[in-house]
Amino acid sequence: MARIIIGVFLLIFFISLGSTAMADSIFPYKYQKETLPNGLTVIMIPMESPGLVAYYSVVRTGSRDEVEQGKSGFAHFFEHMMFRGTKKYPGSVYDSIVTSMGADANAYTTDDYTCYHMNFAKEDLERVVEIESDRFQNLSYEEQAFQTEAGAVYGEYRKNVTQPFALLNEKMQDLAFDVHTYKHTTMGFEADVKAMPEGYEYSKSFFKRFYRPDNVVILITGDIDPNKTLALINKYYGEWEKGYISPSITPEPPQTAERIGEVAYTGKTLPIIDIAYKGAALDPNNNDFVSALLLSDLAFGETSDLYKKLIIQEQKVQFVAGSTPMNRDMPLFEIYSMVKDENDINYVRDEIYRTLDEFKNKPVEEKRLNDLKRRNKYGFLMGLDTPDHVAGGLARFAALTGSIEVIDQLYKHLETITPQDIVNSAKKYFMPEQRTVVVLKGVKQ
Amino acid sequence: MNTTKFFLLLILSFMIITITLGEQKVSDNNVVLLPSKNDPTVSFRIWFKVGSQNDPAGKEGLASITAQMLTDAATEKNSYEQVLEKLYPLAAGYNASSTVEMTVISGRTHKDNLGDYYPLFIDAILRPAFKQEDLERIKSQVLNQLENMLRYASDEELGKAVLYNDVFTGTPYGHITDGTIEAVKSITLDDIRQFYSAYYTKDNFVIGLGGGYDMNLLSNLKKDLGMLPTGTPKAVEKPAPKAINGLNVTIIDKDAPATAISMGFPIDILRGTKDWYALAIATSWLGEHRNSSSHLYQVIREARGLNYGDYAYIENFPNGGRYQLPPQNVCRRSQLFEIWIRPVPNETRHFAMRAALRELKKLVDNGMTQSEFDQTKKFLRNYVLHFGPTTMEKLAYALDDKFYGIKDEGHLNMFRKMMDELTLNDVNTAIKKHWQTSNMQIAVITKDAQSFKDALVNDSPSPITYKTPKPESVLEEDKEIIIFQLKVKAENVKIMPVTDLFVK
Repeated sequence: MARIIIGVFLLIFFISLGSTAMADSIFPYKYQKETLPNGLTVIMIPMESPGLVAYYSVVRTGSRDEVEQGKSGFAHFFEHMMFRGTKKYPGSVYDSIVTSMGADANAYTTDDYTCYHMNFAKEDLERVVEIESDRFQNLSYEEQAFQTEAGAVYGEYRKNVTQPFALLNEKMQDLAFDVHTYKHTTMGFEADVKAMPEGYEYSKSFFKRFYRPDNVVILITGDIDPNKTLALINKYYGEWEKGYISPSITPEPPQTAERIGEVAYTGKTLPIIDIAYKGAALDPNNNDFVSALLLSDLAFGETSDLYKKLIIQEQKVQFVAGSTPMNRDMPLFEIYSMVKDENDINYVRDEIYRTLDEFKNKPVEEKRLNDLKRRNKYGFLMGLDTPDHVAGGLARFAALTGSIEVIDQLYKHLETITPQDIVNSAKKYFMPEQRTVVVLKGVKQ
Repeated sequence: MNTTKFFLLLILSFMIITITLGEQKVSDNNVVLLPSKNDPTVSFRIWFKVGSQNDPAGKEGLASITAQMLTDAATEKNSYEQVLEKLYPLAAGYNASSTVEMTVISGRTHKDNLGDYYPLFIDAILRPAFKQEDLERIKSQVLNQLENMLRYASDEELGKAVLYNDVFTGTPYGHITDGTIEAVKSITLDDIRQFYSAYYTKDNFVIGLGGGYDMNLLSNLKKDLGMLPTGTPKAVEKPAPKAINGLNVTIIDKDAPATAISMGFPIDILRGTKDWYALAIATSWLGEHRNSSSHLYQVIREARGLNYGDYAYIENFPNGGRYQLPPQNVCRRSQLFEIWIRPVPNETRHFAMRAALRELKKLVDNGMTQSEFDQTKKFLRNYVLHFGPTTMEKLAYALDDKFYGIKDEGHLNMFRKMMDELTLNDVNTAIKKHWQTSNMQIAVITKDAQSFKDALVNDSPSPITYKTPKPESVLEEDKEIIIFQLKVKAENVKIMPVTDLFVK
């Protein structure tokens, strides 16, 4: 579920980057981007905020990078270990510093990156730069603490597993991918999560390979002076040695035939159908990809014909929604629906296919496309209201590309999308041989 | 708080700007304004003083469904499809949040779109169509939530729902906001119309308006909402939950992969009073929500790795798994002290419950130390800066202030000020006065309920083994936890299958 929620949020944020007619740049804040000699990128965005700063450390490594057999879920587990401290500031001391600042601090892991974020009062900026730079360079923990944390991660797995969506995603990714690491979820395969306590030595190599300045982007937004901030970054991160080793990720070969799967949820739930197509990696210059970002909303959003039919008129489903995520490699473009009556699963599935066929054959009305562009513009402008929202919304772009210039590139491209582009995109991605369908059903009735 | 005092505080209550307008004017005491010239958006929050406490017997869920029939359904002018079509290019919407005591219709739009947005927003409140097809769709969503999602998809939320239902049984707080399955099924359009007429009146709301609005908008809003019929609904008495004697345990028997535990007892203390802020310090130290500084988190998760987190509360915090910071507009006149233990392996359920109650007992018996107190109040003084960062959330806090009768500076400023004023003695005195460990309601979602009941009633030792080595200090402490006496009586343990929940 977390994956979906994060995915949808970023999609909304991203889609909202679609359009602004009045400026050359869609992004309304001036920003300063610097790269240190060791490869560390820092992006600073001063903005009006009452003495508050958001500080996001984005490691460009996620569950996608878990290439070794039996190590799925490790990027997420490692995120937990990053709170275990250093020789200078052991975990409990780090915690008490964060606590005494009254900072709002946490972290999350996704398929493509890991993000450590903190909101705090501006007078604490130097302290934050100091403790964050320390743990990224000098993390140190004993095997015992490592093993205890593995128990907490398994607890997180158990917490998630009662949600039907967690189970559905696990099955979908496993079935749709053969060799690429998107085959497993960010949480990891259960057997691997269980075996985590044995991975102490591996965890040290994970840190050495991935937690390097040339694999990290720091986003700092809010009440800041960029020059003074940069001086602090140089002071505390300047000695960090570069040395990122890029993992060798096997590309997924093209899918040539439809795949069908089913998964049983031990509790009670209405059935959920998940229809996924092999999509494309984020590329602001790829016309088909950029069009697909709009297509999902046009075909399955709340003003789409299908939404009106299935939810409002026939009332056969609890929801229907499309998801077109942005990823480093080829992700799944998905359509989900929770169906009220098990006997209607095939009907709903066929309605989704019929909708996609329509988009392949008939250009969408110009007005609908323009409405979506207007929606994107205002959604974007309304979403940039706090330092945390700005940094949080930019994190994925920074993670995928190492910078945020991609936003303007995408924006300019989205402006040019025509109804015919949408047709071409539908034909490119939503083909039956690239499709995987999984139906989840509850065991209890 | 007695009624007179509540009324006086309400009259004196916090207002940033007041304006008097028009012939059908709304009393200024019922307006909260947060103007922000540079904000390119306008935020609306209209609070109607109604919630699930007003649900008629046999119609539990009516308040929530009525609110959704305003915001997720047709109006007299537009079908639901047309509403969605019109809102779509604006990237704006509105929704209803209905809790125990409050229903808030909120929405936000960019100033450029205000002319298109406002008529839709006001129509939703003034001119709902109440169509059968919309009611069917909304009821189906609520029933799916009750029958499937809550019973099976989130044992943590299920545990909290069971705890609150048990504590407040027999009072107007005695059912969850979504209602019960039989009651929801029975709700008709006539029920909705009657409920709407009774509670959506010009005498029963507070306007919240914030952001970059102008005075014309305020004038229109007052005039338009002034068109609602008159009527002052009968006040619901503050719930008086029955006394809890001993540790009362409800075990929900289901095929749970792990055990979720929620426990607590009613406290007669509300935000805005000195003791509340004193308890806020103790609560933060014992179990700050989603924060590794929480002491329970340190004991159960950090040292022993039993689960994902362990927290404590003195105010209701719905959907805690989803949010990092406290919610707004979920005010109640009666609150619980609550401990939330996130799912632990079934074999450690007894141990985890003992560990949590033992820590609470230590706190109640010994109080906080000076250094714990100093560190926690320093944390909270800055941490509350992160509460309510947006205009919409600030507006919601201002409405909360009206609910609790907090005047002048408002809750968040008062919170920071109290961190400078309170002493260790204030906190430890408040703990002794308001907290105890002998009488609690406990909700447990687990499997093999009978064997857990037996273990609880016999106070059987709950030995624990770890897959990984633990420091000597942890193992020494475990020896005490394993035999920590809970003294649960057999007659105070109830076992229920999950399918018996939320039925009627």
